[in-house]
Amino acid sequence: MPNITFEDISLKEYGLTERVSKLRKIYFKTVPEICIERPRLITRFTLDNHFFNQNSISVLDKAGTYRYTLEHRLPIVQHNCAYDKDMRLFKFQEASLFGGSTTSKFKGVPLYPEFSALVLWPELWSISKRAGNPFHITDSEVEELNYDIFPHWIEKSIHELTRDELSKKKRLDQMKLFERLVFFLVSKPNCISHTIPDFSRAVKLGLREIIIEAETKKSETADASKKEFYSAIAEVLEGIITYSRNIASEAEKLSINEMDPVLKKELLNIAKVNRRVPEFSARSFREALTTIWICWTAVHLENPNVGLSLGRLDQVLYDFYKRDIDNGVINIQDAIELVCCLWLKIGDHVPTIPEAGEQLFGGTGSNQAITIGGIDTSRNDAVNDLTYVMLRATELMKLRDPNLNARYYSGVNTRSYLKRACEVNINTGATPAIHNDKAVISTLIQKGETVEQARDYGVIGCVEPGSNGRSYGHTGAILLNLASILELTLFNGRHRHTGMDLKINKEKETGDPAGFTKFEQFKNAFEKQANWIIKQVTELNNTFGQIHQKFYPTPILSSLFEGPMDKGKDLIQGGAVINSSGAAIIGLADVADSLSAIQKLVFEEMSITFADLIDAIEKNFEGYEELHTRLMNPDKTPKYGNEDPIADANVSWLVEFLDNAFNDKKNYRDGFYRVGYWTMTNHAGFGRLLKAMPNGRKDRENFASGITPVSGVTPCLTKALNSVAKLPNGCLSNGVALNLKYTPEDTDREKMLDNFAASVEGYFDDAGGSGNGGMEIQFNITNRETFVKAVKNPEKYPELLVRVSGYTAYFKDLNPQMQKEIIERTEYLLSTGKMVSYAPFPLSK
Amino acid sequence: MASILKRSLLSPVQYLFPDRIGNAAVKLFSKKLIQELQETATDKFLELLLRAMDLSFCLSRSYRRNIKNFEGRYVFRTANNVVTAAATFANANMKVHEKEIDKWNVRITFKDAPALQAFLFSKNQDILDSILKNEVEVDGNLNYIHKFGFMARDLLRRLGVD
Repeated sequence: MPNITFEDISLKEYGLTERVSKLRKIYFKTVPEICIERPRLITRFTLDNHFFNQNSISVLDKAGTYRYTLEHRLPIVQHNCAYDKDMRLFKFQEASLFGGSTTSKFKGVPLYPEFSALVLWPELWSISKRAGNPFHITDSEVEELNYDIFPHWIEKSIHELTRDELSKKKRLDQMKLFERLVFFLVSKPNCISHTIPDFSRAVKLGLREIIIEAETKKSETADASKKEFYSAIAEVLEGIITYSRNIASEAEKLSINEMDPVLKKELLNIAKVNRRVPEFSARSFREALTTIWICWTAVHLENPNVGLSLGRLDQVLYDFYKRDIDNGVINIQDAIELVCCLWLKIGDHVPTIPEAGEQLFGGTGSNQAITIGGIDTSRNDAVNDLTYVMLRATELMKLRDPNLNARYYSGVNTRSYLKRACEVNINTGATPAIHNDKAVISTLIQKGETVEQARDYGVIGCVEPGSNGRSYGHTGAILLNLASILELTLFNGRHRHTGMDLKINKEKETGDPAGFTKFEQFKNAFEKQANWIIKQVTELNNTFGQIHQKFYPTPILSSLFEGPMDKGKDLIQGGAVINSSGAAIIGLADVADSLSAIQKLVFEEMSITFADLIDAIEKNFEGYEELHTRLMNPDKTPKYGNEDPIADANVSWLVEFLDNAFNDKKNYRDGFYRVGYWTMTNHAGFGRLLKAMPNGRKDRENFASGITPVSGVTPCLTKALNSVAKLPNGCLSNGVALNLKYTPEDTDREKMLDNFAASVEGYFDDAGGSGNGGMEIQFNITNRETFVKAVKNPEKYPELLVRVSGYTAYFKDLNPQMQKEIIERTEYLLSTGKMVSYAPFPLSK
Repeated sequence: MASILKRSLLSPVQYLFPDRIGNAAVKLFSKKLIQELQETATDKFLELLLRAMDLSFCLSRSYRRNIKNFEGRYVFRTANNVVTAAATFANANMKVHEKEIDKWNVRITFKDAPALQAFLFSKNQDILDSILKNEVEVDGNLNYIHKFGFMARDLLRRLGVD
């Protein structure tokens, strides 16, 4: 293990430095502030250049807009004020080791009027007072947004430009389906996002080299569109360089008046580093981190941060780290401090979420994933000292963002590394998620990636695997509510809440299930309904994509990606090496269990008629208590997660069917759709939008999260893990989130740690290649009592970190429905492997 | 005609008096609206709201700034057409119509007055519930609704009932 020099990989002798402790304290004290700098600059430039009147916006015009914004935004080196939860201003001196920030605020809410910022318009006056996750905004900022910024974008947001396009295509019905919220969501109105840039070239070559490369390629091609693209690349990179230089100048200016010699020296250090990078190649760990940080802020300037992820930072940065350690430039404590400062910077902004969104998806962060460990492209152990530095920083900081993901290749990575990842989970309560390299790599290869590309995967957003810096997969493009498809099948094309009748192949109906004599007939009807919905949502996503191509090219992301420079084509036009789009399915376990209940009770046992089952769910099981008890009993009704053959067959059938149905569809970049099972908070949100189901789930209750079996019906941990691990990995290429909750066992931590690691290894085990092995697993390790207390007194638990379904969140920020879901998740005692039973947690009104 | 006359008579107020006087006047003439906002909205709610907005645009210079250079055509109706109204904005003026208009930017079809009230002023309301119950349906450009939502809430703020 040449890359591991630590005797104690936990690095427990290193703690938070005073600087980081102070910064962290301020971070938790601060409420997010809406920042209007970006929309102000973007709107001004767009107006001055008459882009609002154009029928499309070229990549060069877009690059000009971003360069202007980068060059004119405030180069903030030290924030010095913020607002607390009572919206009281407080002062401080930010002494981070990095200058620059995503917004002009210490913890900002960046606004993107060309995407979805206008949804905040009605609540601008009240947003600082709303009950869930308020944002501070000043009166003058409200007025500027209302009078000077938002009005220009009324007709020009992606959502409305797409509506115009759909109107021309006479397909407004697809927008209507989307706006009903109950069937699917598409994320392109908000962003493209959900990918990993390639930082390695920026770090190793510097942006100046990339500009020279772009200019050379421009001079070598006769293709006008390529020439324009290369000009655009140079334009945005010049903008990023200027922004960094402006930070350097600001740091120099601040240093003049700084009396404290230590702070003065640090300011001059920031100036020196930012004068060098990202323009030129990084020479030190700190310069490499600064390159990534500055490029990261630029990427966010272009696109809202919804799952934009940083990739395999322990690989990209290791050489710089090692050189500095070997040369005595930094020590381990310095490295941890630098990583902690970067982690805080990465979390310096939160997504724009309107009040209605808070009800559905409250508490979400930006889902910026970082990947560590695993193997390299030659199948060698890629775990190194920096992997452990990052784990230690994560353990000490306990932050929502970044979302740390540990790759593990059984037999290549050491068991001590796995145990360390488990230990950090115990100590943080929720992170890192652990990914099975063998399964993930095999899945990506099945989807056409080369072995090297697959081995170099990073985790995107929540849990989605994508080849690092070369795969533009927009993994969160579609969120499909599978339970709504079941609803349409059960009610012959009708959705009970909305009453919508859908047309399938010009016919309204797939048949009244009461008339079905075989389970296969029901599955066929389900397939028809699903195929229709999938057709609508993929076509809609493609139309949104085409509008992005026409109005919102992405030169910044393209400049930091493998592929666009070679192809001379923007990322959104298909410039990446690998092009795909991702769908995340919500409600898998509840739908699978519903199918199993229908199969067993209606068609095999014939213990209830379909008409009675429909009546029972229409009545939310009132008057059908006996049936409900039976449906909830895994000994009497097949439930996914118990190695029950009927249940496991139905869930496998679903994932195979959905993979085929989506793979059939091409995206707007000539790539294919991939399917995954992670739900963020949507299983709670979509759950609120659906009435009772045949598996015994009642009106508006949460769905099970991700690929996780339904809570409370899988008493044995091993069986639950085996059922999930049996699923065909090739059908899960857009990632899965298996959420488990373990009871903290403080009396014998070492034993718990052993059992913990064993549970992961058992779940990942592919039986020597004859089985699958689970793909991903993530945990909550906080006892129920703490959660219950945190519901009652959220202010006493501001830092309680939880794993939702994919990303991490602060428990206090989640809406009541989501808090209930976390509390009610199946909890296992590792020492026995058995479920711990609790009474249902009441939903607060 | 009455509308033109009203505007001619009232509009000078915004130049003669500070905003707070205009707001106070709107408040004085909007008692019924305030009552509906604080109690249960009736079929008169929409008309009262539109009229109060119209009056406020006449009397308050800062409120009027909301519609400077703004052009928009809104239709509001109940599914059974018991309530139908439209509002158009052009040349820094608002016009209230008592019937549907064509070429609208956005059309809001609502179940009843409380549903519309909940949709526009959703504070402490279960927004998802109103969507799910099919109480409000929006056709057209949603950004016009966002703009209208701001103006409606801005009015409430000026009336002191936000």
